[in-house]
Amino acid sequence: MTLRNIIPEVLTFIFYLLLQVFFVRQLVFFDYAFCFSYVAAVLLLPFETSRLQLVLLGFVAGLFVDIFYNTAGANAAATTLIAYLRPSIITLLTPQRGYDERQVLTLRSMGFGWFISYLGILTLIHHFVLFMLEASDWGLFFQVILKVLASIIFTNTVIIILQFFRKE
Amino acid sequence: MYRLFQFISKQRAFIVFVLLEVLSLWMFYSYNNYPNAVFFNTTNYYAAKALETSNSIAVYYNLRNVNQDLATENKQLREMVLKLQAQQLVQPKVNYKADSIVAARFQPIVAKVTELTTNQFNNYITIDKGTADGLAPGMGVISSTGVVGKIKSCSEHMSRVISVLHSEYTMSAKIRRNNEIGSVKWDGKNPELLEMTDVSRYKSVKQRDTIVTSDYNYVFPADIAIGYVTKVGVKKDMTFHDIQLKVATNFNTLSYVYVIKNRLEKEVKQLEETPENKTPQTSKAPQTTKP
Repeated sequence: MTLRNIIPEVLTFIFYLLLQVFFVRQLVFFDYAFCFSYVAAVLLLPFETSRLQLVLLGFVAGLFVDIFYNTAGANAAATTLIAYLRPSIITLLTPQRGYDERQVLTLRSMGFGWFISYLGILTLIHHFVLFMLEASDWGLFFQVILKVLASIIFTNTVIIILQFFRKE
Repeated sequence: MYRLFQFISKQRAFIVFVLLEVLSLWMFYSYNNYPNAVFFNTTNYYAAKALETSNSIAVYYNLRNVNQDLATENKQLREMVLKLQAQQLVQPKVNYKADSIVAARFQPIVAKVTELTTNQFNNYITIDKGTADGLAPGMGVISSTGVVGKIKSCSEHMSRVISVLHSEYTMSAKIRRNNEIGSVKWDGKNPELLEMTDVSRYKSVKQRDTIVTSDYNYVFPADIAIGYVTKVGVKKDMTFHDIQLKVATNFNTLSYVYVIKNRLEKEVKQLEETPENKTPQTSKAPQTTKP
């Protein structure tokens, strides 16, 4: 990977984080649906990214968001986890004919079905870990589940909308 | 040895993953035990600055509501002044007059909200005054319409406030109409509603009663609105009322708050901790055992 290819990736990564902290953070629907579109910063890194890089970037992204959410470590824990699980989920979702050499991790290249199941599985894990950590109380389990489901829909919608603004 | 290195280099992603995961969980769980840790939250200088800039837009947007709140408060204060002036003409029933220092023990400090949440399980507010302005952890925070919370930690120019909407925050309250005492807590669900407990079911509680801070605390002055009763029921154990309140403070448009500095707090605490005040308990014990 050359420097020319890396710079846009870095900028996208930073863009997702800033978007989260300054804009999307204020968007909450009915006190249940939250948007954590910053997970896209980690989930949409190129296929070639190694697991080690993913885990480190996931931790950095999570911690950055934590600072602004006052949740010291909760986002970091959740994002590190999904960053680590990402390669396994990609293998799990391998289509019958395998992945094409030229395919890149975008909505247009991967197709809607693959893209939504990939995001769906990982955002489910992320949101569940995050909300459960924050609640720290099994008594709020149903409350958490509701929040998780509402937030998955919201997060994924935002990530997919952002995909349409991508230049191919 | 070579094998070990080989193993580590092969599994390095997993090892780093476990380390980072342990680190973040440790941060998360130890966070509440170190209230003065200011790096990984919004009292961090750079985070605070960034939020302040983005918030300055929101402040303009909220000005209309802030104005309205202030006007209401002005009206209330004016009424209070008139009432007090009138009272001074009448001799009090009991010959009691508060010492001027005691009467003026609460000093408000105005601060601006730079960051707040209402929809997490534990909500915090960040304000733009800190130890440099005389703030300290434990001080009460109110808005022009009601109670907001209590300071948890301070840096030099920033402070974090535990909002009333925090799962571990309980405060002493009373019903303004008949002075019944109880405690108010948030149930973690709806950011508009609080719960009041410990009020005996044989005491009268009505809808639209105003719940205010009680006289038995030194964080808030007495008689600051907490909320208004919206629903009254009886708890399962049949001894207490189950009361639901609507929060008096409008958290969504909260822009300016007053931090309440109690000039006598140190004195009160000292008084409570001196051994002389605990002697009645110890002297009672032998008396009860004798007969």
